[in-house]
Amino acid sequence: MNGTKLILTRGQATGLNRPLALTPGQDLKGYVASLLGRAVLFLITCTSVLAVLLIFFFVCREALPFLSKISLSEFLINTEWYPEADNARFGALALIAGSVYVTIAALVFSVPVGILSAVFLSDIVSFRIRAFVKPVIELLAAIPSVAYGFFAVLVLAPWMQNKFGFSTGTNALNASLILAVMALPTIVSVAEDSISALGPELREASYSLGATRFETIFRVVIPAAHSGIIAAIILGMMRAVGETMVVWMASGNAAQIPRPWWDISQSVRTITATIAGEMGETPKETPHYWALFALGVLLLILTFSLNVVSEFFLSRAKRALGKQ
Amino acid sequence: MKQVILFVAVVILTASGAGLAEPLQLEGSTTVGPIADAFAEYFKSIYPELDITVKKTGSGDGAAALVDGRCDIANMSRFMKEKEFKQAVDKGIFPVAHVVAMDGVCVVVHPSNPVKELTTTQVREIYMGKITNWSQVGGADMPIVVISRDTSSGTYETFHNLVMAKKDMAPAVEYVNSNPQAHARVKTTTGAIGYVGLGFVDRNVRALKIDDVEPTKRTIAGGTYPVARPLYMFTNGYPKLGSLTHKFCTFYLTEKGQELVETKGFVPLTNY
Amino acid sequence: MRLSFRYISDKAFTGLTAVSVVLLSLVLIVVLAPMIWRGSSAVVFKATVEFRKMQMDLFNRGEPSELQAEIARTESFRKEVYETLDKFKKGIDTESLSDQARRIHRQFGSELRLRNITGDEYTQLRSLTRELRDRLLTAFESRDIAEIRENIEYVSGYKNDPRLTDTSASALFELGTNYLESAQSIDLKQFEQYSESIEEIEQSIRDLFGPRPGEPTPAGVRLRYGATRWDQAAKCLDRLFWAQKWVETEPAKPLIKIKLSRAHQFAGTELEKLFEYMEQNVQKLLNPRLTFYWQYFIDDSFNSHYFGGVGPEILGTVLITLLGMLFVVPLGLISAAYLVECASDNPAVRIIRMCINTLAGVPSIVFGLFGLTFFILYLFPLLGAESKGCILAASLTLAVLTLPVMIRASEEAIRAVPQTYKEASLSLGASGFRTFVTVTLPAALPGILTGVILSLSRIAGETAPILFTGAVALGPVPKSVFDPTRTLSYGSYDMAVGDRISMMVPHNQYGMVVTLVILILCLNTLAIVLRTRVFKKLKGQ
Repeated sequence: MNGTKLILTRGQATGLNRPLALTPGQDLKGYVASLLGRAVLFLITCTSVLAVLLIFFFVCREALPFLSKISLSEFLINTEWYPEADNARFGALALIAGSVYVTIAALVFSVPVGILSAVFLSDIVSFRIRAFVKPVIELLAAIPSVAYGFFAVLVLAPWMQNKFGFSTGTNALNASLILAVMALPTIVSVAEDSISALGPELREASYSLGATRFETIFRVVIPAAHSGIIAAIILGMMRAVGETMVVWMASGNAAQIPRPWWDISQSVRTITATIAGEMGETPKETPHYWALFALGVLLLILTFSLNVVSEFFLSRAKRALGKQ
Repeated sequence: MKQVILFVAVVILTASGAGLAEPLQLEGSTTVGPIADAFAEYFKSIYPELDITVKKTGSGDGAAALVDGRCDIANMSRFMKEKEFKQAVDKGIFPVAHVVAMDGVCVVVHPSNPVKELTTTQVREIYMGKITNWSQVGGADMPIVVISRDTSSGTYETFHNLVMAKKDMAPAVEYVNSNPQAHARVKTTTGAIGYVGLGFVDRNVRALKIDDVEPTKRTIAGGTYPVARPLYMFTNGYPKLGSLTHKFCTFYLTEKGQELVETKGFVPLTNY
Repeated sequence: MRLSFRYISDKAFTGLTAVSVVLLSLVLIVVLAPMIWRGSSAVVFKATVEFRKMQMDLFNRGEPSELQAEIARTESFRKEVYETLDKFKKGIDTESLSDQARRIHRQFGSELRLRNITGDEYTQLRSLTRELRDRLLTAFESRDIAEIRENIEYVSGYKNDPRLTDTSASALFELGTNYLESAQSIDLKQFEQYSESIEEIEQSIRDLFGPRPGEPTPAGVRLRYGATRWDQAAKCLDRLFWAQKWVETEPAKPLIKIKLSRAHQFAGTELEKLFEYMEQNVQKLLNPRLTFYWQYFIDDSFNSHYFGGVGPEILGTVLITLLGMLFVVPLGLISAAYLVECASDNPAVRIIRMCINTLAGVPSIVFGLFGLTFFILYLFPLLGAESKGCILAASLTLAVLTLPVMIRASEEAIRAVPQTYKEASLSLGASGFRTFVTVTLPAALPGILTGVILSLSRIAGETAPILFTGAVALGPVPKSVFDPTRTLSYGSYDMAVGDRISMMVPHNQYGMVVTLVILILCLNTLAIVLRTRVFKKLKGQ
């Protein structure tokens, strides 16, 4: 924590040394070389930016004709999704709602468990156990999504029908449970990293003041690491929003908004599932095809705005910490 | 590093040498695709040097590919539309239909369901959300869980045209993306109704009589079962006799061809 | 009071965190254990003689003479089954009997045409056999023993007619007497039930033993063999011994499943013996033996994975993964190094970071669309390559997908290297680049390897991005990186949603998923071992 204030950037460090060892000519050469090197590195780093821009470009290009055909408000407000009917209707509200339902429910399950597990790994168990358990949790991320899909349809769905008497087992609850499990490794892994990165000083200070472990963790550790924890939650959330195959298999894919609104034992349909399920056989250059790309744009905008929010949040957290 | 470059070079060279045999390209429906796959696998087991590719994109793409000359055989789960025919004839291509099999869609329920038969109208009303409880059609007092195939599948298309009469399904209808999935959902849900190809009906789900006709190979091939359709392979003109294309799209007439059609869950046409 | 509350809350909290980790491990077990259990049965199972036949034919594996002896042994036991069945069927399978009668009549007609007889005689004989045929058909369709007897006796009356002896028409008499014999032995009221049941029994026996000796080889590989596995055989036997029925207990209530013994159903008939015989001799009929089929991991598959293994799938997955890592590791590492070491907090860098975060949140299916439109439809034609899905395009798409994971993990790792290391190096006069390569990078290696592990698992397991960019469900083994390939992830998806056949081989379905999990596990373990070794080495210094 305190170490960050002592950081000398490389420029400063080399700047101190150079006049002692180098002639001005060498210095210039070195300066140009490092500048060039930096430029190359910068360009390589920009690959990600390029990728994002290209993704935006190519997806938007296919979606644009749709926006000229159907009004944006109808797309966003109408709940009727009948792309193949004779009088095709492209109301995406039910799909958006489905994505929101599934994501929020998944977070409700995964965030408490994830953060508690991260705390357990970083603060409670010995290093040796942690070194064993963490890879095991990372292993959860390695299970292919198709396997989770199998589990959702063949095990979880019948179990829910028999146990809770739901009329259908493939529903928002099923999908969000599975998504929660899939988001957990990300949340645990990233949150644990940021919690253990805090170093022992803060904790020792808190313990020496007589605080219990519970108080130390809740009042000191988690607030201090909250930027990393929020980042973990957002990463987990993105995994949940973007997951395709599992949702397609587990959510039931009924394009409806549950009634009453809190009833997550009803089937919903998400944006990703719609794209994955309908893209394969939709003829190109038709309103339906464009509509699917428009859904893709919607997803991109959704994830992008989530990012902007988290970015804002993190920078504010950073500033708040800096002032302390 | 050198070894890697060498490896890549060797790999690229060997690749360019392949593909000398007369290629046969099929494109189109995902419903007919499995039949074409099975035929192709059989042809390849006899003539290993054959180069047969089967692309499963959709009936519309198949028609477009035939019109553009991108494929030799277009697999289609529906007949060519007027517009497609016109385009083809304008380009000097004369599509000829070969009906390779019949595809029957069975309405299935959980075997514990006392309902044994429904009329087309009743099925339509269930899917439209007008009938929501099995007691309304003479069954137990259970809410109906309605399961449909995804809207881009050929099975959906058949069902939508022949049962739904192109009416919209209710928003509460659940969608699954394959026949095995539909089968699994109906098998594990007591109140479910779904529809699958004839090949997927086994002792775990029960096929209903529709309009008093039981779905069997005989009623489907004979045309008495109401939810059935022919599956086509389209060629440009009648293929040159003895050519690979000719052999391929008349293969369904042979005993082996019919056997393969049947293993894929469709009804061979000549087996009355 | 306050103190005890603090104490309790502390304990409760510790307990809660422990519970959540236990919950996580439990989930892991609940999801993985049944899958691994079922998947392992693709490799370790009791294989019947049919399995060894299949291995011999398709993969040329096994000792031919030994196999021949084994087949002969089982065939000798199967003969009895076929004989019992045929004997009973003579009186039951009226459809094939009618077919036979018609065929005999036709054959006799063509025989007559070759004979030197007058037109009158020809017509006379033809109408005679036609009448005999029709009588037989009436008998076959009848459910009344008196009517059957009357018709058959009428037919038998012509037995010694000199015009018919030694011609193909004489077969009609045998057909009739046989039928009468068996019709007298069974209860004709149960006829419908019998013929329905017998169909299921025949099918079960065919599933168990494959086609009968002497029958033509079926076109589909799947139909050439019986139950290759003991678990399959057990299912067939269950179908054979027990009829399943759903009966109504109350009107308008769900039906209840009951099982009926077929031996009971056929009590008193010829067929009764069959069930007892099969139950007693089932081991000898199939000769099951515990087999470790390790070739599952190298074999090609037949008939949509009905037989064979996942060799090409493993190859494809490994190829795509390694090629993808080749792109993503340097790219991610350099990006991370730049972001930590060179970049200050300016808007450009902030945008880069935001883009990386956005990339992490882009749904995998959108990557698939992107890979299709950019690499395959745009970039490849631009560079003069063929515009089709291939390993290269799939790897590139997956590399873009995992880039944020790699960058983020490496960034954290590089950032965690103590500042003092770098300062020490820099103060010794080493350049920034040298410092990074010789000091920072080795120190950060364990964390970077974590990033590699995470992206590796992601690349190997993703399905949606390669749907359109380079994966096929069936196809030849790729010859170069410009060919499409089969992969484990797409293969398992395809089997999950595929056709009827994959429903019949759940062990292969799970086998493929488990192979994928194990493959990723192996790669992970490799990286984890590497990580610990590097870590130890660093600590030792």
